[in-house]
Amino acid sequence: MTHLPFIAGAYAATIGVFLILSVSAALRLRAAERRLHAVETRRERVRA
Amino acid sequence: MTRKTRRLWLVGGCMLGFGTATILTLQAFSTDIVFFMAPSQILAHPPAPNRTIRLGGMVVAGSLKETHEAGKPPSVSFLVTDGQDAIPVRFTGVLPDLFREGQSVVALGEMRPGGAFIASEVLAKHDETYMPKEVAEALRKSGRWDPRFGKPPSASSWDDMTVAPSRGS
Amino acid sequence: MSASPLAEPVSAQDHGSATNPGRIGSLLHRYANPGRFLRLSERLSPFLVWPAIVLSVAGMVWGLFLSPADWQQGDAVRIMYVHVPAAWLASLGYAALAVCGVLSLVWRHRLADLAAAEIGPVGASVTFLCLLSGSLWGRPMWGAWWVWDARLTSVLVLFFLYLGHVALIRAFDDPSRGARAAAILAVAGAVDLPIIKFSVQWWNTLHQPDSITLTGAPTMSFSMLWPLLVCTLGFSFAFAAIVNTRLRAAILETRTRQLLLQGARE
Repeated sequence: MTHLPFIAGAYAATIGVFLILSVSAALRLRAAERRLHAVETRRERVRA
Repeated sequence: MTRKTRRLWLVGGCMLGFGTATILTLQAFSTDIVFFMAPSQILAHPPAPNRTIRLGGMVVAGSLKETHEAGKPPSVSFLVTDGQDAIPVRFTGVLPDLFREGQSVVALGEMRPGGAFIASEVLAKHDETYMPKEVAEALRKSGRWDPRFGKPPSASSWDDMTVAPSRGS
Repeated sequence: MSASPLAEPVSAQDHGSATNPGRIGSLLHRYANPGRFLRLSERLSPFLVWPAIVLSVAGMVWGLFLSPADWQQGDAVRIMYVHVPAAWLASLGYAALAVCGVLSLVWRHRLADLAAAEIGPVGASVTFLCLLSGSLWGRPMWGAWWVWDARLTSVLVLFFLYLGHVALIRAFDDPSRGARAAAILAVAGAVDLPIIKFSVQWWNTLHQPDSITLTGAPTMSFSMLWPLLVCTLGFSFAFAAIVNTRLRAAILETRTRQLLLQGARE
């Protein structure tokens, strides 16, 4: 393949950026779900 | 008129005004926004001597000459044309991979009194056509296109030309 | 504490007002309800994630290994399969940001503000990818990492508009003020989109004109056009999936904050 370093750089950056974005989004969603769940159960326990 | 409708008109009006302002600004500066000047433009309005400008156009087929002197980087000279006028360009240094006769190039440099353009940097400007080697080869063999004389024919005609080059039209 | 804007409830009542929003407005209101959006988004998620993974991987493998090399650019043309989708998404993402801006300014949708805050960073990342891959493509082909021609400069401006939006929407203690300022920036910045699109026609640039246009036939062999379209679809799904996930997280985070504030007041 000609120009391999340039091609590899472009593809690696693309895959890297999309991986970082998706993994961080998934982790953030999981953390948000857990936190909301924790807060909701705590409130219910206080009410009860 | 409800508050929402009023806000809608307000946003629309602001967009219109801002858009118009932008168009007028770009119009006013359009000569500064162009990246390069064509040979006929340069000859029609010669720039001040020693002013660095960019010259853009196609490398004339058969005009490329290389001179090798011992101990110096190779120096090249070629003609750049926009179809109306041509300007001779001299350049010492490394040419980009895509440089060839028939390719569009943009050269940075200045006009010399003799009418020659001394370039300090040469960039290749490729066109918007993308095709596999085989297609280019077939087009060339069929005699429909010579890369030294400019752009290939439109992509919709490639199949006709490559599959049945003898069919004619 | 009770006066904090965070206590502002994100619910359907928030959008109801005495004025009649009109038919478009009522349609928007249906989906501007974060609760309803949350359910829709959850159901939509697999239909975004799986096409994103399958199409992106297929498109990149096709572009890297199966599509032919260009007759003059050689294998460097393969950078196109990541550069062009990134460029399209950069513009598309900003258009979405501008639409959110109008929804926020005119209809005062909280969901539009939340969406704008989540689209911004993703759009900025994609624009960065477009600039980076373009630079990596320009160096071997043109002979320069960067030139100040109209196309490259207008995309760089788009990148800064994104960065400004990302910063502005988070800059105020009162989120609604940040949202208002960012919405104005998003709408005003939209003038850059037609400039990017037409820069290669209006002025002479080093960047080549578009190969694929709405009006004309593509100036590209089909063996290169197909992987490009597959990549574009895949990256678009990925963009949508990421924004969808972030937006869902943002809504849950807002709800958590409200519950905590309510608990603190009780």
